[in-house]
Amino acid sequence: MSAKPKLKSIWVFHLNTGSCNGCDIEIIDVLTPYYDIERLGVKLVGSPRHAHAMLISGPLTRQAYYGAKMAIKAMPPEPRIMVAIGTCVCSGGIFYNGYPIYRRPESGREGNEYPRLGGIIELLKDLRDEGVKVGPVIYIPGCPPRPEEIIYGIAQLAGLVEKRLSYQEYSDEFVKFRLPEGPVEERIVLTLREKLRHVVGYLDRDAILEEFMKLVEKAEKSENPREELRKLINEYSSKQRDMRIVFCMRLLESEYWRIKDAISAGKEFVYWI
Amino acid sequence: MSEVVEFKEAVEKKRIGWGSEKAKVTKEYLDEILQKFGDKIKDFKQVAYNQWIITVDRNDVPEIVLYFLNHEGWKETQLSTMVVNDERPLRGKFSITYWLSINGAAGDFYLGVRAYIPEDDPKFISITPKHRGANWYEREAYDMFGLIPEGHPDPRRLVLPDDWPEGVYPLRKDFHYSDSPPGKKFYPYKKPKDNEVIVPYGPYHVALEEAAHFRLYVKGEEIVDVDYRGFYAHRGIEKIVEGRLTYDQACFIAERICGICGCTHSTAYCEAVENAAGIEVPERAEYIRSIVLELERLHSHLLHLGIVCHLTGLDVGFMNAWKLREHVMWLAERLTGNRKTYGMLLVGGVRRDLLEYRRSLIEEVLKDLKSGFGEFVDNITFTRTFVKRCESVGILPYRIAKELDVDGPLGRGSGRDFDVRRDHPYAAYKYLDFKVPVYKDGDVMSRAMVRIDEVWESIWIIEQALDQLPGGDILAEYKEIPPYQEAIGMTEAPRGENIHYVMTGPNNKVYRYRARAGTYNNLPAIPDMMRGYTIADAPLIVASLDPCYSCTERVQIVDVESGKVRVLNEEEFNRMAIKASRRV
Amino acid sequence: MPVTLKYPFVKITAPPEYRGIPQIDPTLCIGCAACVNACPPDAILRIDDYDRGTRKIVLDIGRCIRCARCEEVCPTRAIKLTNFFEAASPDRRDHVEVVELRLVKCKGCGRYADFTGRQVQKALKIVPKEIIEKEALDDKVYLCRDCKRKETVDFTIEASKEVVP
Repeated sequence: MSAKPKLKSIWVFHLNTGSCNGCDIEIIDVLTPYYDIERLGVKLVGSPRHAHAMLISGPLTRQAYYGAKMAIKAMPPEPRIMVAIGTCVCSGGIFYNGYPIYRRPESGREGNEYPRLGGIIELLKDLRDEGVKVGPVIYIPGCPPRPEEIIYGIAQLAGLVEKRLSYQEYSDEFVKFRLPEGPVEERIVLTLREKLRHVVGYLDRDAILEEFMKLVEKAEKSENPREELRKLINEYSSKQRDMRIVFCMRLLESEYWRIKDAISAGKEFVYWI
Repeated sequence: MSEVVEFKEAVEKKRIGWGSEKAKVTKEYLDEILQKFGDKIKDFKQVAYNQWIITVDRNDVPEIVLYFLNHEGWKETQLSTMVVNDERPLRGKFSITYWLSINGAAGDFYLGVRAYIPEDDPKFISITPKHRGANWYEREAYDMFGLIPEGHPDPRRLVLPDDWPEGVYPLRKDFHYSDSPPGKKFYPYKKPKDNEVIVPYGPYHVALEEAAHFRLYVKGEEIVDVDYRGFYAHRGIEKIVEGRLTYDQACFIAERICGICGCTHSTAYCEAVENAAGIEVPERAEYIRSIVLELERLHSHLLHLGIVCHLTGLDVGFMNAWKLREHVMWLAERLTGNRKTYGMLLVGGVRRDLLEYRRSLIEEVLKDLKSGFGEFVDNITFTRTFVKRCESVGILPYRIAKELDVDGPLGRGSGRDFDVRRDHPYAAYKYLDFKVPVYKDGDVMSRAMVRIDEVWESIWIIEQALDQLPGGDILAEYKEIPPYQEAIGMTEAPRGENIHYVMTGPNNKVYRYRARAGTYNNLPAIPDMMRGYTIADAPLIVASLDPCYSCTERVQIVDVESGKVRVLNEEEFNRMAIKASRRV
Repeated sequence: MPVTLKYPFVKITAPPEYRGIPQIDPTLCIGCAACVNACPPDAILRIDDYDRGTRKIVLDIGRCIRCARCEEVCPTRAIKLTNFFEAASPDRRDHVEVVELRLVKCKGCGRYADFTGRQVQKALKIVPKEIIEKEALDDKVYLCRDCKRKETVDFTIEASKEVVP
């Protein structure tokens, strides 16, 4: 932002350009007791003619395009801030190349450009072509963004906080590749990991698998790993209060030995990777 | 006829035994249809445990559909959805299928009445003159596929943008999903009669939700007619699913049909695929689905009650409802990772498990919610202005409700005794026990009461589900989804019945996807609800539908005679509504 | 009792279950593009440059719907959804993360193959040692698809000559 708007109290108008409602409800949420953005002087007004800023949501459908354009033109020429709320309006979101979504002909509908085009970006380009002045734009991605995210974006406008993200680029030459080392063969780990996805889901599987691998490492050092692992898992289970995790541990144990046996017997085994 | 009998026997052998009470009733329905129209039925098949498709000649469709819908013995029949499919690559023809259902306590039965339509003569007989509920479906058939409903009273464009060129039908298979041909902007609104004044309503509104455009035709203060131009949020989801996404990816766009009731949409989609492909979902996953769906219903109903309070001038109720709702949102965030319960489902199950600590979180929140909500309900039902303002406003009589196939709390508020959860149990609802509240008055108040009762039922359902939660996997393993299988999935969203139709296709993609949300059936009822009430009632009536967007942003009053334009913004407009409640 | 949050004047962290901004760990990413195939809104791109011999994995947070499918399919746990949520920025470029990896130079024809060096290292780690030795994979993996096919064909022709003199 080159010229920071010196605004103490921003009046906003809410414009939906075909969003799924997720972001719109979060915008209302921001106005209700828990988040109460009126603390920052933000007030929702009933007409774009009164608004300093426009809170926009939605991927910009062709049907909504005309109304949206009119509403932005109806705003007072200064400061005309655009607050793009949600992934859809930042770049078209998951709908980005559907047939009813507005895209400028030159933007193309499939492309390898980045940052990705779509949403409000197209409308702003059109407005600039028509010579309509548009003030600063702030993009708040999220699907939908949490109310805190919206507050954070608007606080940035008001100059209360600084932005935290920046463009990141990494290259093979500078970043060293790290192959994870473990006591167990990688293919077994990956198979167990996939099995666990079907049992506890993607989120919790890594933590559980890590616990299990620690026990396996201990057990494999002993003379009778099978017995030792059983003992360790029994010990672990007695301490663990969550029966679901205990269930996973027991399942992992049997799966682990099943795969091991299959490998040592030289059987064909289907890996899940 | 003999063929049909053979078919039936084959079906009987292959599928479920007719042992259960419900299945017996279903068989009676099926027998009756076969008896009555046996000679007209060309083909007959069962696609899932409660879904059958009969194929007939296209001229026989209206007779069968109307017989079904107007059957005296069958209580809550309804036109659930209509699916048009471009089967030209497969058969060289289009197909239309009217999906009918018997609801109420009596049956678990979906019947698809299908007819094939040749490409060179794309016409079918409209049933709208005899059954108004088919209005939008048939208009959409023209929009998307270019099939002409003959005898349709209102054949205007429904879905596509105003500037979409004539003669381009986006859901046909020869249209690429990302093409977007330009055109000229035009929409034929209804012309006002003498002495009528147009009050355009939208498309932009301040406070809430989506864009939609209503035109109220008023005489003085009284609303005479309403014209609706919506679909500002038409995002071409069906085509994107058919064109770009794989089965697993499509779950995430199905959720984004609606930001408030997203999870029911992805559940309906997943059920449709699972029904079509014969994937068995683990029991634990079904329970988790039910819990998440009920959480969603909780926050959606609280949101609605808050808005009704706001529009009746009871802002303290609005704030309280949204404060309560926030607890549910926090809970949803911790269970599913997103405040909107997004990203929880995949075909075959769910993605996150309910670990022990998450269970206790639910219990805590429910405890708070129970006391908070009880207090809230006491507060609003003892507020005289609220009750007076909601009573006898926006009455939708049972007859019209049935005629327009309205569903969800709107239908139940008008005395229609149905609920997909009870009548066509999906997810874990078959194992759970709950009541379906029905009110007969058909006004804004009874719709609010239905929702209040449903909140209590939802809390009770979650408590049961937590108690009964079984062990096991949460995601089914399946190999491949066979192509060209079809089925529908249905769920009871907070706003009504969601029906998703899926025809599987090759290359891990859906061949045809059709989603129908509850509000699709409910919105056409707005003119009937508004007629005879004043402009000040309009926001309340629209909001009482909970239409995935409240209403209003900017209201423009055009006096036809003097040509004077008065612009009211939503604030003033809502103020009018609030003022009206002060009068009581 | 006041209920209003003090944010943004106090720091807030989202719960650990929250699906926030996705991040690629460049030390773990092998450039297999499993996430690219899984991503519903095409927020992750794979851009191969056969002249320079690089593959770019480009993540745009501004397109991401935070479904965590990428996290679910990633074989190396390189991409993760953090619980960090403060992504607002006036510049869309801030939302982009690029990981550039080197493609394998084919030992046969000298052109770049359509897989990265890291992918090969990972594959060699997964495949059991016996098979690597038996099939002499150590050399074969550094051939591009065309050369591999050619080698197979040559091998078959040679073998058939032996059988049918």
